Amino acid sequence: MTWQSLFDVSTMEHRHLLFAYAAVLLIQGGYVGWIAWNWSRVKGPRH
Amino acid sequence: MEQRTPTLRSVAWLWFGISVAVLVVGFRQAIFLTPTDAAQGNVGRIFYYHVPIAMLSLLFPYLNFAASLAYLYFRKRDPLKALTADAFALASAEVAVVYTSICLLTGMLWGRAAWGIWWAWDARLTSVLLLWLLYMSYLMLRSFSATGQSQTLAAVLSVFAAVDVPIVYMSIRWWRTQHPAPVFGGGPNSGMDKSMLPAFFWNLAGWAVWGIFILLFRFALERRRQLAEQEAALQAIEASLEIPR
Repeated sequence: MTWQSLFDVSTMEHRHLLFAYAAVLLIQGGYVGWIAWNWSRVKGPRH
Repeated sequence: MEQRTPTLRSVAWLWFGISVAVLVVGFRQAIFLTPTDAAQGNVGRIFYYHVPIAMLSLLFPYLNFAASLAYLYFRKRDPLKALTADAFALASAEVAVVYTSICLLTGMLWGRAAWGIWWAWDARLTSVLLLWLLYMSYLMLRSFSATGQSQTLAAVLSVFAAVDVPIVYMSIRWWRTQHPAPVFGGGPNSGMDKSMLPAFFWNLAGWAVWGIFILLFRFALERRRQLAEQEAALQAIEASLEIPR
């Protein structure tokens, strides 16, 4: 498989493969981003 | 504490870097290097994310279970230890929901392309959905409960929620319905082709180290929030004790 065929959305098979990988990376990235955002908002005990 | 924080921060960044590096290798193996499955075509590559994440999604509820038991044990004996256990229980419940959500979503995307249906009420899918609902209800109970008992109630719910984990694991062994048979330990016909192993194990390792990273990061955030609340409460008490002159 190549980058080009990964982003080929002409068939359901390819679309669902791309959606699955993108969804995993977005959910995990979104969650760690949410933690990091909250981390920056909550002051540490020494502040 | 003053010396530990920069060291912990360096270890966290190193762990994050290792996680991302292993996940990049896993992605490359799964998408570009592993041959296309003869029976399923390219949609079979969802397997390399779905199965490792599904396996890991059964570990985090046990961490939540252990932390909840620790909370229930310490809540009257040692409240500070109980707070730490509660922070870990919350972090592990959230990570369990993240991993279970991904397991369900990737499974549905694969099922629609491979079976022609998004969902089937078979034993494995239903028990995983139940697991997701149980940990969502755990998080919602913590968010919306206004009483001072929400941590205790959540810990009790967690003890019962953990019962679903062995049911999820055994469901494809006890009842043979729509979901594919177990990949490992499912009898003489189970296992996978040698060409699939590197992609599978790189992704299993990658999502495991990533899972540990987000679990500990979320735990550290919750501890930070708890300590900030304690500090604010102490300041409020100190301010109320000051005698006006």
